Amino acid sequence: MVRPVHKFHASCDGHSAQAIQLPSVLSDMTSHNKEEQQISPEEAQKQRDFQEEAIQHINALYNYALHLTMNPDDAHDLVQETYLKAYKFFDSFEKGTNCKAWLFKILKNNYINKFRKNAREPGKVDYDQIKDFYHSIKDAQSDSEDLNAGYMKSLMHDEVYQALHGLPEEFREVIELCDIEGFTYEEIANMVESPIGTVRSRLFRGRKLLREKLDAFARKYGYGTEE
Amino acid sequence: MSAAVDGELSEREQQDFDQHITWCVSCAREYQESKKTKHLIREKVVRFKAPESLVNSILKLTDSPS
Repeated sequence: MVRPVHKFHASCDGHSAQAIQLPSVLSDMTSHNKEEQQISPEEAQKQRDFQEEAIQHINALYNYALHLTMNPDDAHDLVQETYLKAYKFFDSFEKGTNCKAWLFKILKNNYINKFRKNAREPGKVDYDQIKDFYHSIKDAQSDSEDLNAGYMKSLMHDEVYQALHGLPEEFREVIELCDIEGFTYEEIANMVESPIGTVRSRLFRGRKLLREKLDAFARKYGYGTEE
Repeated sequence: MSAAVDGELSEREQQDFDQHITWCVSCAREYQESKKTKHLIREKVVRFKAPESLVNSILKLTDSPS
């Protein structure tokens, strides 16, 4: 069962990685709604609210689903089911709280119910599988930007991706939720169902490991690690 | 340290931390390095766009709930 998450506070402000452009189909929604003659005004309002609040997080959810499943088809299904559930239980979403965190929590619960039994063991990442998966879609879709100076600039997306994916699952997850999605420790703790202290120490250890890997890349390719 | 990097310290903790790194070289360095790593992840990790078919199917689902 999906539990509504009421304690989240609004912190929807994203950073550049979340500056998502939704397909133009969204702008057609309102006109589409008007064509739906059968639905009640309340239902129509709910649809509008839902589309306004929830649909904008679809790229973030899709990335999180990819991270969890490592499979585009499974990620597709997971996001679809998440939105279905979210819509069904949208009445329990408290307006003004963090909708993105609410959706992530639903997705994570859904994932655990659906996939966890068959999933790989945490920490045992099949690197070849990840590499193949990554190369199969990286050319087609990417919305990140290069902004860094010094050795960071020299590090390629590929290398950062490899370093991140070489981390044990429990470290990688909190780093992604914190650094990429911009969630607070409280929100992350709720999603991964661990105390805040655990989240904090995973972040610390994860970043340390990550830095060692990135430094190794930098040395390998002859970039200085000092700026 | 993580809490400092992520802006999760309380006002009091932040003051103590700021004071500490003015004289502790290793913590100051660790802090800078951790911030750099965070920044790097934000900027360099490739993000995928949800396929348009997925976006469309979700819009359809919420347009005519069963």
